[in-house]
Amino acid sequence: MKRSKVGLTFLYVILGAWALTSIYPLFWVLENSFKAKDKILKQSFALPVGDLFTLVNYKRAFERLDIAHAYMNSIFISACVTFGVMVLAGLASFALVRFDFRLKKLCHTLVIAAMMFPVFSTIIPVYTMESGWHITNTSSWILNMVSVILPQVAGNMSFAIIVLMGYVQSLPLELEEAAHLEGCSIPQIFFRIVVPLGKPSFVTVAIFSFLWSYNDLFTQMFFLRRPEMQAITRLLNELTSKEGTNYGLMASAVTLVIIPVIVVYIFLQKYIIKGMTAGAVKG
Amino acid sequence: MSNIYKSRKYVLIFLAPAFLFMIIYLYYPFFVNIYGSFRAIKNLGTYGTKWNDPWYENYVKLVTDPVVRTSLKNTFLMIIATIVGQVGIALLLAILVDNIERGTQFFRTVYFFPIVISATALGLLFNLIFLYDRGMLNQFLELLGRDSLIDWKGESLAIFTMMLPVVWQYVGFYFVILQTGLNNISQELYESAAIDGATRLQRVIYISLPLLRNVICTCLTLGVTGALKVFDLPWTMFPKGMPLKETFLTGTYMYYQTMEAKNVDYGATLAVLIVVLGVVLSRVTGMVFKESEDF
Amino acid sequence: MYEELVQKGESMKMKKLTAVLMTALMTTSAIGCGSTAPTEAPAEQAAATNEAADTAATTEEAPAAQEEAPAQEETGPVEITVTTTFAGEDSNAQNYKNSVAGWEAATGNTVSDTSATSDETFKTRIITDFETGSEPDVLFFFNGADANDFVNAGKVVSIDDIRAEFPEYASNMNDDLIAASPADGVKYAVPVNGYWEAMFVNTKVLEDAGVAMPGADYTWDQFLDDCEKIKAAGYAPIAAALGNIPHYWWEFGIYNQQTPADHLNIPESADDATGAQWVAGLEDIKTLYEKGYFPDNTLSATDDETFAMFTDDKAAFLLDGSWKVGGIVGSCQSDPDDPSTIDADKLSHFDVTYFPGKGNRKTTDLIGGLSMGYYITTKAWEDPEKKAAAVSFVEYMTSDEVVPLFAQHTASALKNAPAVDETQFNALQVKAMDMMSGVTSLTGAVQDLFNGDCRVSTFDGMPDIVVGNVSAADAVQEGIDVYKDTLE
Repeated sequence: MKRSKVGLTFLYVILGAWALTSIYPLFWVLENSFKAKDKILKQSFALPVGDLFTLVNYKRAFERLDIAHAYMNSIFISACVTFGVMVLAGLASFALVRFDFRLKKLCHTLVIAAMMFPVFSTIIPVYTMESGWHITNTSSWILNMVSVILPQVAGNMSFAIIVLMGYVQSLPLELEEAAHLEGCSIPQIFFRIVVPLGKPSFVTVAIFSFLWSYNDLFTQMFFLRRPEMQAITRLLNELTSKEGTNYGLMASAVTLVIIPVIVVYIFLQKYIIKGMTAGAVKG
Repeated sequence: MSNIYKSRKYVLIFLAPAFLFMIIYLYYPFFVNIYGSFRAIKNLGTYGTKWNDPWYENYVKLVTDPVVRTSLKNTFLMIIATIVGQVGIALLLAILVDNIERGTQFFRTVYFFPIVISATALGLLFNLIFLYDRGMLNQFLELLGRDSLIDWKGESLAIFTMMLPVVWQYVGFYFVILQTGLNNISQELYESAAIDGATRLQRVIYISLPLLRNVICTCLTLGVTGALKVFDLPWTMFPKGMPLKETFLTGTYMYYQTMEAKNVDYGATLAVLIVVLGVVLSRVTGMVFKESEDF
Repeated sequence: MYEELVQKGESMKMKKLTAVLMTALMTTSAIGCGSTAPTEAPAEQAAATNEAADTAATTEEAPAAQEEAPAQEETGPVEITVTTTFAGEDSNAQNYKNSVAGWEAATGNTVSDTSATSDETFKTRIITDFETGSEPDVLFFFNGADANDFVNAGKVVSIDDIRAEFPEYASNMNDDLIAASPADGVKYAVPVNGYWEAMFVNTKVLEDAGVAMPGADYTWDQFLDDCEKIKAAGYAPIAAALGNIPHYWWEFGIYNQQTPADHLNIPESADDATGAQWVAGLEDIKTLYEKGYFPDNTLSATDDETFAMFTDDKAAFLLDGSWKVGGIVGSCQSDPDDPSTIDADKLSHFDVTYFPGKGNRKTTDLIGGLSMGYYITTKAWEDPEKKAAAVSFVEYMTSDEVVPLFAQHTASALKNAPAVDETQFNALQVKAMDMMSGVTSLTGAVQDLFNGDCRVSTFDGMPDIVVGNVSAADAVQEGIDVYKDTLE
């Protein structure tokens, strides 16, 4: 097909311009995280070279904040949430699509309606409940982690079930029937056929559960109170309420929180995008 | 339905854990929340010692409270911004990317960037960008020769400043979905159209758009329900609906009433409103954007 | 009825308290200003503080340790949970950390610390913790109406009850200076550092605008004239974010219609005498807004942003609390943690003075006092393992050695504040001390009694009041209605 050079250039200019809006703000924060706080507001577009360059923001961020610990907590929480959601939602969506039972319609409605609940409307009763069980605000690290993991698993459940139901529906039933004839039990069918074939959809669920859990400030704010138990997003928020005008420190903290996510994303982006579209387009 | 899936035992085993979670952590708290909306609650974590007088007091307030109207208005604006801004821009970009050969992978990767970053971090970032004295934008305008500062968060621009980052963040999400949909359209269709003498624009209008209909519908449904849940970014950038309570969304207003204004039972009432709104809107979008089975 | 009683009691008490507090303050400043560490606890200074804390540990803890020895042997080291507001930017965050370490070293017990920056969210959290039974063992919190809920619920132990078993508890404090709970008139919280609220001044801006540094006889009319001049010179006269933190202007706006004797009255309605004063106070703020004396973006800015305007020489006046001394000094250091990086020249541009007086309020009548203190919760008191440890912790944190570190240029309730070296103070701290030595009275903030959701209509509603969307009278009345509701 023929096309004019001018037209093509025009396309690239538009696409490039939008790409710039995605990249430049991140770059701007990155470059300013290397400047002293009083320079940021005066010379924010200058590259941090020569006299402008300083590591003082990072030094201070590491001194002030227990970043390593917070990363560990965050990753532990998000990994557990991801695992929990995948297993429970996988089982539930399989049952909801394949099995016939009286309350099926009701269950389906319950799943969809649960998507609508704002976290803020459920958090207070949940907090009261967990306080009653003595799993939040205790000195036990693992119990505190569990107190965040449980509500987050519940919060991600609906989305996961809906995506996975879309996938199970698209599976040809014959495959499972054949397996059944060969003597596979139902759990075997699930673990040997449904799960392996549904990798892209499970990856979607995993990625989004992980991201949402990692980025979920609200639940973390409620349940993680002790300094040694803070997760990374919570730490970032705390920092800004304490150091409102120290823009240098803020820039470095934002960078520190974003960088690992970006790195992981760049490495995994093939799977992320593939998995996501598989799930969303079908579901 | 196949006869292998009859066992009641497995239904229970497979469903019970997930539903137990949802019932304990979502449904039970939500019904407690409805109960709470009729109680006179002084502090978080209690359900008060008495009923409101009259018991439906909060619901009367809901109807008369001008801020509720503002927040509903803003929420609807947000939905429109989502449809026009997010899905619209994403569609445009997807069609453009479909027409180039080199660099598609790059644009996919880059456009998706903002989604993986937490809204809290983005909120801080945009605070720095929109800072009055003197963030990225005002510094930039200064370089261009403007001598007065623009108050991006002031009365006249607040709504715009609030919605822009939200729209920006999710364009990439819909872009990727739509682009995958475009990739699934067979190249032969385009080629035969080209032979028949159709221009590029005609090919987009008569082939791409109709064939993308289902995917666009999915995007719109996701967009509408997503717009109702927006919270972190506006709250980080405009706490307490600043200025003049003009930037409240239903979600941020509920949070404000519960946590900041200490009006816990009224906050619970607003939560009920949000859920009702969500259910109604998802039904409406379900009807309006009904996926067609023709293709 | 009840509220009237409380009010009367309060204002009578306040008179007395003010008098004693002033004496206490005078003695401290006469001796040498009651502090060792500058506000921004720096590395070098921190070491000194540590030493001080250690000395305190050895001298002070010796008897206490003996006292507890039997209990300690049976139970071994105890962990107590402590929540304070000494976190984040609070000038005393570092002092607090050091003191906790000192206590831990001296007793072998450990502290699980859940301190956080003090704001409305923090208060909500504390109240929720009490409601759900997850309160800490020791709590450093407000002694005003914010504490009413858990005081009424009997969740904290009164100082008298503690003294019945530990007679030495808070015995180094002047009891007249310990505020009683407005809920039941009983004393619960042992105070550490006091606070004052006054007007910080950027003298560089004043010079540029040709305005003289205000003094002890500064009047409201002079203030308005000066604002006009400053505005004409191209600066923002007042650094304040009315949409974010209108608290200080609210307090002084109202105080300016009153005298120290009646400032703590709470109106019955917006049109009684006190109500009218409140409305007039808010309308004064509205006038300032209409004249354009606040920054252009005062309704959409955060307090941090307007504070930055003040420190960047873009605004002249900043009405704020004693805790801002540390913030201003920090803004003059290129590394806020390292006092050796201080720009002394820049710091010399900052001064602090009284709030311009109007009517019967003297310019030198300020807001201040001892608004917070250490509570021991009933939960810890009834836990035989933790009881002694909690008492020992509070005794340590309120000892003659530790309190001056925290109090600095504010007041404390100590009977005998030890003399300390004045040479370690920075320029602004010295100016603050000078200013405080001229104060004629310190009165508590009425917003500490009129708290929580009562204030929403006039605090969060301040932007609506100043732009004229809501009349000041309606907003005040709305707040009073909520206040009456909570008393029922």
